[in-house]
Amino acid sequence: MSTLLQQLANGVVQGALIALIALGYTMVYGIIQLINFAHGEVFMVGAYGGLATYTWLVPDSVKDVWYVSLPLVLIGGVAVSVAVALVMERFAYRPLRNAPRLAPLITALGVSVFLQEFVRNFYPNATAALPFPGVFVQGQLVLGPIRVGYSGILLIFVSVILSVLLQTYINRSRMGRAMRATAQDPDTAKLMGVNPDRVIVLTFVLGAVLAGVAGVLFGTYLNNINTDMGFQTGIFAFTAAVLGGVGSIRGAVVGAFIIGLVKSLAGQYMPGGTQYDYVWIFVMLILVLVFRPQGLFGEPERVRA
Amino acid sequence: MSKIANTVKPFARPLAIVGGVLLIVAALLPWVTFALNSGNYPDRATLQYFDAPFQVTGFRWHMLLLGVLVLVAVFAPIPSKARVIRSLGWGGLAVALINSIFITTEGGGLGAITASDGNVAFGGIVGIVAGLAVIFAGTGLGIELPAKWNIKLARPWAYLVLVVTFAAVLFAVAQTLTAGGQGGPANPYAGGLFLSFLGFAAGLLTALNGFGLIGWISELSEKHRAFSVVVLLACALLLPFTNAGSEYWMTVAANIGIYAATAIGLNIVVGLAGLLDLGYVAFMGIGAVVAANLSGAAASKVGIDLPFPIAAIIAAIIAGIFGAVVGSPTLRVRGDYLAIVTLAFGEIFTRSAQNNIGGLTNGANAIPGVPPLNLFGKEFNETLSIGSVELPAGVLYYVLIVLLVAGVMAIFANLKFSRIGRAWIAIREDEDAARAMGIKTGKAKILAFLVGATLAGLAGAVFAHKNGTVSYESFKFLESVTLLAAVILGGMGSIPGAVLGASLLFVLPEKLREFSDYRLMIFGLALVLIMRFRPQGLVPDRHRRAELAGEDVGGVPVDEVHEHDTKGATA
Amino acid sequence: MSTPVLEARDVSMVFGGLKALQNVSLKLDEGKVVGLIGPNGAGKTTFFNCLTGLYTPTTGSVLLKGDVLPGDPAKVTTAGVARTFQNIRLFPSMTVLENVMVGRHVRMKQGPLASIFHGPGYRKGERAARERSSELLEFVNLPGIEDELARNLPYGDQRRLEIARALATDPAVLLLDEPTAGMNPQETEATRRLILAIRETGVSVVVIEHDIKFIFSLCDSVSVLVQGQLLVEGSPEVVRRDPRVIEAYLGKPPDEVEAEVAAMVEETQHTKAAETTTETTKPEGEQA
Repeated sequence: MSTLLQQLANGVVQGALIALIALGYTMVYGIIQLINFAHGEVFMVGAYGGLATYTWLVPDSVKDVWYVSLPLVLIGGVAVSVAVALVMERFAYRPLRNAPRLAPLITALGVSVFLQEFVRNFYPNATAALPFPGVFVQGQLVLGPIRVGYSGILLIFVSVILSVLLQTYINRSRMGRAMRATAQDPDTAKLMGVNPDRVIVLTFVLGAVLAGVAGVLFGTYLNNINTDMGFQTGIFAFTAAVLGGVGSIRGAVVGAFIIGLVKSLAGQYMPGGTQYDYVWIFVMLILVLVFRPQGLFGEPERVRA
Repeated sequence: MSKIANTVKPFARPLAIVGGVLLIVAALLPWVTFALNSGNYPDRATLQYFDAPFQVTGFRWHMLLLGVLVLVAVFAPIPSKARVIRSLGWGGLAVALINSIFITTEGGGLGAITASDGNVAFGGIVGIVAGLAVIFAGTGLGIELPAKWNIKLARPWAYLVLVVTFAAVLFAVAQTLTAGGQGGPANPYAGGLFLSFLGFAAGLLTALNGFGLIGWISELSEKHRAFSVVVLLACALLLPFTNAGSEYWMTVAANIGIYAATAIGLNIVVGLAGLLDLGYVAFMGIGAVVAANLSGAAASKVGIDLPFPIAAIIAAIIAGIFGAVVGSPTLRVRGDYLAIVTLAFGEIFTRSAQNNIGGLTNGANAIPGVPPLNLFGKEFNETLSIGSVELPAGVLYYVLIVLLVAGVMAIFANLKFSRIGRAWIAIREDEDAARAMGIKTGKAKILAFLVGATLAGLAGAVFAHKNGTVSYESFKFLESVTLLAAVILGGMGSIPGAVLGASLLFVLPEKLREFSDYRLMIFGLALVLIMRFRPQGLVPDRHRRAELAGEDVGGVPVDEVHEHDTKGATA
Repeated sequence: MSTPVLEARDVSMVFGGLKALQNVSLKLDEGKVVGLIGPNGAGKTTFFNCLTGLYTPTTGSVLLKGDVLPGDPAKVTTAGVARTFQNIRLFPSMTVLENVMVGRHVRMKQGPLASIFHGPGYRKGERAARERSSELLEFVNLPGIEDELARNLPYGDQRRLEIARALATDPAVLLLDEPTAGMNPQETEATRRLILAIRETGVSVVVIEHDIKFIFSLCDSVSVLVQGQLLVEGSPEVVRRDPRVIEAYLGKPPDEVEAEVAAMVEETQHTKAAETTTETTKPEGEQA
């Protein structure tokens, strides 16, 4: 029983991480119908950006003072994520806005592979996993049989807060309205004076911010990062977005927590252990796509003739 | 484009002449001022060996040829002059630039190509200037369509031309393979020289295309298709007799062949039906694992030893079944999601193989000791003597693989111009309209997966024996990306394109060994650049060219045609 | 009275909260041409989609030759209903001939194995398909452009190609969605004659159109759809004079329309009179 509770707790933490990334996938897909394969890499470069900031920019005197170094590392990581996302959108995706579907998909794949390899080759020593500093309160919270690292708790808090902020922003603000309009009918939105390029850039930036935060907090929680992390987590996050219904913020978050829990529990209880947890996730993905492609919160797509 | 053309127009012709002469001069000048770290740069390009200045070889010879051709093009009454000249210019620029860059980076600095220690060597700089001059001159001379020849030939003459052409192609392929020599520590400049050769070849080929020769020969081979196929096949089989006939090159060619066959299979799924399959290499892996297990290898769990043809067929069928299984979610899944689903399946295969599912794959230890194939007692990895000629070891594998590639190409061609091929293309273009035409789209898509997977499985079976070892490492996701890059680079849906793509993506890493760490990074970047600048690939398929590049059927971008006063097909 | 070749009985289509179609019925007898008219947004294309299996009606049924229509568009086409689309949906990078040959797909038998090996049976089948496709291109008056890419054709030719492609499926029923949209009078007349020729071959036709003259000069019967409901159904003469139809199209009751028309006629006469006399008279003030 205590194992079950522990795994549930782990699942919640994982879900929180996945949520931050799933939001980026779902928003971009909602607006330009593109699966941004490279979004997982945006998460990864955020982590490495944070590490680089810590290693070279944070003065040694404050390295151990988490409430100074953590914000700095976060800023550094997010900055890198956002920069990468902006370049990606501007030079790889925007020119292909009107190309047949296959083209942007392949481009996204190319960007993803490129980024992964670029970091692996050019970041010092990145061919193997690198240790990531614990820029938060060290130690674990103990609640009865459950132990959760404080960094994990931080992840959960940040994830929930940012999701709520994002939801509020999209529902209440002017730009948020513009985003929703562009997602539903880009041509009409344009006629109403919405600049689609601005909206799309904003979408990418928001997604990148969340992913960058996720990258840094992931590093803090696990204490090591490697160039593969984007690929792995990216697939889980995408599955979460689909499960919740692409285009739906609520869906992405709910989906993410479900995936996190399934991953954790499957790793513990299903045959094959943690080596095969991703298999169960993929099985879920396939089942969702076959039986309820619109996800939990999405609308069934109507064929237009 | 037209602004540059108009500025240059008045002095285009003299500029072309100057450029051509400069190219020749550059060929005759020294290129390097001192001996580089890894030894002297080849082809007597270094100042110190500048004792026989007119003995030009290798890349310098290429420069010389290009220069001479430019001058010929200027003075001779040839069609599409501007286009030819411009292409030659690009070739010259490529050769000059690539070699200069390699010299600079290998020797440490610009001094190597300009002046150092009282030595002066301007070959590279002159070459770059010359190349640019010719390009500008060509642009100034006008924008033209590739020429069309109207020469009709009677059958015996046509046959002769085709034989000569394909023999030339064989020679060219042998040259390309061996250009720069074998990659590796003993030959540090192989990569640079090879790229330079590619630049030269590209310039020459586009010039010949502009000249109209290539288009004419294509038409000729279309008219006499059966004959062309036979001659092409014969030429391919004659490769071992050329200067590429060493064991090393036979191995390279054989490996290219296996990947080309697999890429053609992928071309059916991606190129024809438009289904992005990111886990495709898994089918090749399945075929390889099955074949290995049925081959009597010591590590095989299944203690049967079947003759290769039967094992290969079984391997292909099993891979095909998996293909149908993977394809079945496509019934309900939209194109974008399909990519992820196939990726997932690919990952499942790789991980399962890594963890030795069912004891069949032996996990990290792989399945070594898969015996070489053997026909009538002759093992495929030995040398073969025909009369007094001794052919290199592994030549029989090469022959088998040529036949495999030919077979797969035939299957692809037949499918493309058939009822099911049209259905696939229709699905790719507009799935709802296809359904409205009565096409059962779900079944058609599963069929595409099935056929593609079967071909990959077959290639995998051959791979198992050729390679001698079957390990999950050969079938990871990034291999799928490479195959996809090959299909796209070559041209989606194009029959020769996949072979060309696979060749390039396999030969380049061989030659450019020093870049092996960056291989995947470059592939990723290549995918992005190709999709951005030339999505129809190197050898565009007629459909794709129209679909992706917005060109009219003549092969020239539509806005260029509008600048000209031709009677274009578009309104 | 023989069974109508296509019949819709009380078809309703509800999307979420929106009632796109309410209790729409239609009977298409063999060898007849039926017109379907109505203002934009009336649900005509939605109705077509119900007739081709693209949508399944929320209530009501569609019968083809007395049997219930299959629920899948591909099966519907196999059963003998073909259609064209409002926004032409050709296969743009395939040639003209290839587009029509895709239409032959359902009537060809060569399976994948035959396609791989191209045996004699296969080649015979391909040749037959090719010939039939060429015939159809002649029939719709598009000779000689078989190897042109569909996307390069002028608009009118594209519409005709779409019809040829639909005919290639050997349908019993042909549904045409706004076939003369964007055409000039000559092209419209050519299309009218083409539809009559199609009828001669035994195919029954339903046409959605906005060109009233076209519909009334072509159809055996006309149905008027307004806001998802069938307003009136009958012969062209009956429908043309129906006051509800006039109101639906022009938005005003018939007597008002008559008064306006009379006023317009009067003003034209006055203006003509004013021009021929030398004295300048103030023109009548009433604006129509």
